[in-house]
Amino acid sequence: MQTFKIALTIVVALLLQMLLPNQVGFFRYIDLPLVVTVYFGLQRAPVLGMVAGMIAGLGGDAVGGGIVGVGGFSKTLIGYLVGVASVRLSLENPLARLSVVAVASAGNTVLFVGLYQMLEQSLPFVSTWAEFGATIGWKVLSDSVTSVVLFFVLDRLFSEQAAARRMAIKKRFYE
Amino acid sequence: MSANAAHQKAPWILAALLLSQVVLMSTFARHPDSEQSILRVWLVTGFAPVVRVSDSVLSAIKGTGASYFDVRRAREENLELRERVEQLTAERNQALENSAELTLLRNQLGVPLRPQYRELAANVFSRDASLWFRRLIIDRGTLDGVKRDMPVATAGGIVGRVISVGPNFAMVQVITDRHAGVGAMLQTSRAMGEVRGLDNDRCELKNISTNEKVEVGEPIITTGLDRIYPKGLLIGTVERIDADPNAPWHKITVKLAAPVDRAEHVLVLLLEPKDLKIDEGK
Repeated sequence: MQTFKIALTIVVALLLQMLLPNQVGFFRYIDLPLVVTVYFGLQRAPVLGMVAGMIAGLGGDAVGGGIVGVGGFSKTLIGYLVGVASVRLSLENPLARLSVVAVASAGNTVLFVGLYQMLEQSLPFVSTWAEFGATIGWKVLSDSVTSVVLFFVLDRLFSEQAAARRMAIKKRFYE
Repeated sequence: MSANAAHQKAPWILAALLLSQVVLMSTFARHPDSEQSILRVWLVTGFAPVVRVSDSVLSAIKGTGASYFDVRRAREENLELRERVEQLTAERNQALENSAELTLLRNQLGVPLRPQYRELAANVFSRDASLWFRRLIIDRGTLDGVKRDMPVATAGGIVGRVISVGPNFAMVQVITDRHAGVGAMLQTSRAMGEVRGLDNDRCELKNISTNEKVEVGEPIITTGLDRIYPKGLLIGTVERIDADPNAPWHKITVKLAAPVDRAEHVLVLLLEPKDLKIDEGK
């Protein structure tokens, strides 16, 4: 049941990623598969984070265009790193989670663009450092704002896991 | 696998997953047809019906609000449109006469006729799902006769070409994408160049010598030499010419004729590169 819910969350994120930019142009800046990856990474399970990241990343590559595997690589790594960080640090409060999304968003953009540069493929919005910086800024802002809403919804959908996570953090850091 | 064992094995699993992604992306980056991937076809084929229905519902909701304001403008717009219809009818009659005359002259001079092709109407149900690529997804695929590299246009002008196709969808690379290129020429001077995307709603016409006289507003059409787009389709008009006396080429910004960024319905030209080749060989 749990696996089904996780798979369904990723599928819905990909469907919305295909649907929403056609209605409102600014949704292009939001990376829903990334936000979902970070959420699962924050469940104190690096394996879940990286597997969710890989599936969401490959799905994002498939629906968005471009080279299949680049988004998969960056989100697998992001999912793992967030998972490891959530085991070692207390990242339960909303501000900490927001910071994790912001860092993950910036890291994902840098990784994605870096991999394209390595593969000698050009991308838009990165021709100057200022332009690249502005793109990262907009993406960080969009992903962070989206995560506030999405995490609220996902916490209700995965309420048992959220309770277990809080208990584990309490045990590890405060008892 | 217990949680502890999973934590211990996590770095190894990570290495295996990352390695598989490296192999995947290396294969796709090297392959010239990398846009057509099995994963993409399977995933988008499954998602297409859901996204198409959801898009229709959302568009209907948006449209209901907008239509209230549209009704208020309808009366004046109706009068304007009646005048325009009369004007366009006269222009159409003239164009039909010119076309008949041109066909007759082409036959007499032995100039090969333009390739004939059918057009297939399609709806756009997804666009720009990623910030980095300018793509449309339309609701027609191989079941409707759509193939890779077929041109896509609106009544106004060209939109792009099909780069990936599944049974019930086709992914279109629009001409404003930086990786897109179209063989183009200025309609008046017939000077040939290449239109490249600028990743906004404009394109650039390259390789037009500064010796050529170019005027703002001049139409730009396809040459047919890129073996994708048939000759004579409207791309757009010259919007701006940036003068640089030392440069060998003009820097020309193109205003597109088709509303590429907001097209809801498009036409797929059921025309393959081999049809253009035969036409040239005649």
